[in-house]
Amino acid sequence: MDKTDDIYYIEAVRKGDVSAFSILVERYQNMVYSLALKLLKNAEDAEEMAQDTFVKAYQKLETYEGKSKFSTWLYSITYNACISELRKRRIHFSSLEDQRFSDQDEMKMYDYFSETKKEDQERYLNLALGKLPEDDQVLVTLYYYESQSMDEISMITGLGVSNIKVKIHRARKRMYAILHEMLHEEIYSLL
Amino acid sequence: MNELDKQFEQLMKGVSIDSPSKGFSLKVMERIQAEAVVKKHSLLEDYKPVISRKVWIILILAFILLLVYITVSAPDTAQVEKPGLWSAIADSLPKLNTKGVSNIWQTATGLFTGIPPIAYMILTASLALWTLDLFLTRFRHSTSEIQVN
Repeated sequence: MDKTDDIYYIEAVRKGDVSAFSILVERYQNMVYSLALKLLKNAEDAEEMAQDTFVKAYQKLETYEGKSKFSTWLYSITYNACISELRKRRIHFSSLEDQRFSDQDEMKMYDYFSETKKEDQERYLNLALGKLPEDDQVLVTLYYYESQSMDEISMITGLGVSNIKVKIHRARKRMYAILHEMLHEEIYSLL
Repeated sequence: MNELDKQFEQLMKGVSIDSPSKGFSLKVMERIQAEAVVKKHSLLEDYKPVISRKVWIILILAFILLLVYITVSAPDTAQVEKPGLWSAIADSLPKLNTKGVSNIWQTATGLFTGIPPIAYMILTASLALWTLDLFLTRFRHSTSEIQVN
């Protein structure tokens, strides 16, 4: 068992070395917080939720069987906790109208966008991501940023794989459409 | 993952992810440490009775047998032994009670004075263990209620 493996630290915690859990916290705090923030839309709430997630994960560590990645298990705790919090607040996911953006348009947009400055890319991508419905933001982050597989995302969110596939496909197109709109507005403002 | 996905993944990998406040990890670990204390208490979940039911039955049977043995085999020798507390009470009773009652009392106290001190010690130790057993069992239940989820 490699010392960098999650399971190494999980076993250490199970044997009573509580401090080993801090490695897991350090490793996943950004992603857990980021997911919570995308869903709850408030930094304080997201931080509290992220804390709760880690405490819950520690409490339930005995039930983690290692069938999935630790990150998948942890993100599912985060996601479910956020969803139940949103249900409590009776906040519904916002939705965007389906925007038509062909595969060719995407290709063109990618070529154009990759030529822009890295800093601008990041800024635009963050803005575009923020304009997606909350659940789509989570899916995009998990799939494209965290490289979680469709099956893993299905485990985290409880959504069906085919549903996730469609949602991610649409979300990517929506993001390109939003990016296109943003860049278009920028060009016009320069003129 | 198709070509379009791969391209988009490339873009997304360049995005820096949100991070919590500086002391986040420390705050979490403080809460975890507190949880660990509660978890340690829950070790009593695995508690098994100090004395098993079988041993309890054997102890009770042994005690009854000892009582029977003393009652049957050595009723006279008990009278010869130096007077203890029971004997002192028994001696004072005939002065207070009727003859019939005092006879019953004398028989009973005679039985107790016949029991060797070791038997009392065994009884006391067993009762102490039983009390401890009961306390630990109750404590186990109260900690299991503290456990979250």
